[in-house]
Amino acid sequence: MTRQTLAIGGALAMAVLLSIPASGQAPSAAAKPGALKTAWTPPKTADGQPDIEGIWTNATLTPLERPKELGDKKFFTEAEAAAFEKQTVQARNADTRNPDPVADFKAYNEAWFDWGNKISKTRQTSLIVDPADGRVPPYTPEAQRRIAANARALQERCERAVCPPSNSGAIPADAPEDRPLMERCIVWDTSGPPMLPTAYNNNYRFVQTPGYVTINIEMIHDYRVIPLDGRPHLPPNIRQWLGDSRGHWEGNTLVVDVTNFTDKTAFQNSTDKLHVVERFTRTDPDTLMYEFTVDDPATFVRPWSGSIPMSKTPGPLYEYACHEGNTGMTGILSGARAMEKERTKN
Amino acid sequence: MRTKLTIAIAGVGLLLAAAPMWAHHAFAAEFDPNKTVKLEGTVTQMEWINPHAWIHMDVKGPDGKVVNWMVECGTPNTLFRKGLNKNSLPVGTEIKVDGYQAKDGSTRANGRDVTFPDGRKVFIGNNSPDAPPEK
Repeated sequence: MTRQTLAIGGALAMAVLLSIPASGQAPSAAAKPGALKTAWTPPKTADGQPDIEGIWTNATLTPLERPKELGDKKFFTEAEAAAFEKQTVQARNADTRNPDPVADFKAYNEAWFDWGNKISKTRQTSLIVDPADGRVPPYTPEAQRRIAANARALQERCERAVCPPSNSGAIPADAPEDRPLMERCIVWDTSGPPMLPTAYNNNYRFVQTPGYVTINIEMIHDYRVIPLDGRPHLPPNIRQWLGDSRGHWEGNTLVVDVTNFTDKTAFQNSTDKLHVVERFTRTDPDTLMYEFTVDDPATFVRPWSGSIPMSKTPGPLYEYACHEGNTGMTGILSGARAMEKERTKN
Repeated sequence: MRTKLTIAIAGVGLLLAAAPMWAHHAFAAEFDPNKTVKLEGTVTQMEWINPHAWIHMDVKGPDGKVVNWMVECGTPNTLFRKGLNKNSLPVGTEIKVDGYQAKDGSTRANGRDVTFPDGRKVFIGNNSPDAPPEK
């Protein structure tokens, strides 16, 4: 993202916000932010579980972390929310290729994406609700050393090898194994847990059978099978891409405990000691409140939590068979070879 | 109000600054941001495949020679939810593509904007906060 684009974004925001009438500042009582929990009782499945079946979406413009400048401001007013939505969508869709054609972001318009056009219905300013600043807590000294060592190793390798860009910075492309899991169609980094919104395919099908809840994640067609019978977690030597989930009901809330992550994934730089607890509560026919707590004492100085109200969506859920025609990998590797030739020439 | 304005503007700026490419793969690893292409031609095939759909099109060069290009589009799921289907770009349709050529120099490009000759966009984002929610 160039400075120029930022300036354009700022100017747009200014124009939008200046047009907000003063009367639009106060939230109406009917739409009190954050007030989604009600006395509503969900129907029961045939075997007596609270019914959370169906297809739910977590598409939202609300960012994971609150912009620092918003401080402890937890909620937007209705007018602020509308301005934020409008400005974000406009800026993302803007054709900013000229005069500087270099930034990645310009290569796509909104036709490519499906991240929705609204912030969460709670009007929260970040998905993270704890700590109070709405941001991922600081790293422990151990994690800082680990992250720095990884960065040094990468830098040393990139001094020798060609390192094309990736969604997580410039990294080698000698072979497919060098590339991120997303590019390799193995797992998407927002499939989690915690399950977070991404640029498209933000749809999740929940199926309940006696003793199990299954979540089918549209992005890369992942499945989570969550037993409810109180069995222990897998032994510690077994590690899985999406961790190991164990669920139980606390009243109308499905609580899922997730451990046994692999060190091949690193949610926010976490280790395989990552521990996630999720809570799913259907608060009205069209809302499934998703709350999560993330803990990894080797990485974060304290646990942290977030929430996303997921909305019922009619579906259908489509298959996303990522390997079907993943020409991206071929293109990236042949692109790296072209970069090497170019480097030899110079 | 003045403080609020500053906060909102800075906030939006930060959000965008943190926004990565978000496509299935890193654009700039596969395509060359310095090789913009403007392609005009006719559709020879539309591939509705995961993780990205591809348009194949015949493009006549300045020398009169026809070259077949492959143009990358969004994901089939997203395009379908936006109202496109296999009948949207039949073989023979004339289109214009603005995009970026593959880094390896092959006749592949990403299709940032795909339009009909009259300027109508083929892939319409339709992502305005005022638009009805998408299915």
